[in-house]
Amino acid sequence: MIQAARAARWLDKMQLERPNRKPAFMGLTPLIDMIFLLLLFFLLGSDFIRFTQSQLAPPRGTGGDDGMSQVVIIALAANGNVQWNGATLTHDGLSRKAGDAVARDAEQLFVVMPEGKAAVQTIVSLLDQLQSAGAKQVTLEQDIFDIDLSDF
Amino acid sequence: MKIDYRKREIKSIDLLPLINVVFLLILFVLIAGRPTTDHPKAVQVAASAQETDYSAGRLAVNLHADNSFSVKSRDGLTIGEVKAAIEETGLADSGAMVTLIADRDATAEALLDFRKAMAQMGIGEIRLKTKYEAPVSGGGR
Repeated sequence: MIQAARAARWLDKMQLERPNRKPAFMGLTPLIDMIFLLLLFFLLGSDFIRFTQSQLAPPRGTGGDDGMSQVVIIALAANGNVQWNGATLTHDGLSRKAGDAVARDAEQLFVVMPEGKAAVQTIVSLLDQLQSAGAKQVTLEQDIFDIDLSDF
Repeated sequence: MKIDYRKREIKSIDLLPLINVVFLLILFVLIAGRPTTDHPKAVQVAASAQETDYSAGRLAVNLHADNSFSVKSRDGLTIGEVKAAIEETGLADSGAMVTLIADRDATAEALLDFRKAMAQMGIGEIRLKTKYEAPVSGGGR
């Protein structure tokens, strides 16, 4: 009997009182800090502009074909006006003539000779126009005597 | 007049929508952006409708709006100094491709000087860096 009473008391003692603990709230602040830091890192480390490129001068010594057509010289004024082998043209006319020349000879060489004060944007627009007409061989030269035909 | 001074329980703001939005922003930046290249901030390159993807050459030369050049963080160079800087790199006569990052307001004079100098040095190919701008449909010059 005594042993049974002792055992009951011992069991009573073993029942530990545990307060009802609330589930601990996980702190979100470090997580948010990290996410904002990641966002800042990617924002500052990224470009949203799509860069492209135009060819100003072709690789040297890639041509020299004896059967090439006569060179077309396009003079570009600072105000954007163009001349085709000395004759004044509109930009629409230029596209048409360049397209015709490329249709006759796919390897037609165009030499763009811009006026010294012409802006880079004006030159790029002209190069775009020629490339849109299908021109593959376009070069930029200061003087007609600078052209090295072995490059084409 | 009896005022109820009982403490109101402060409800915590639900942060999950905020975290969701910020994660979406990170995804957007990751997808829409590209890692920053060696593009100088002071140079506004010309717009082009050509879709040729840009690939950097072995050396990039910057041409600023005031027609001065810069190579590898050396600013205010003349064309003669650019030639010397390129000779230091050992690129001359190698036939390597050089990228020119020219400001859209720079003039053809500097561009042509650069073109001529590179031809004299035996640089094989010059590519001009531009930024893509889709052509406006229905417009004409």
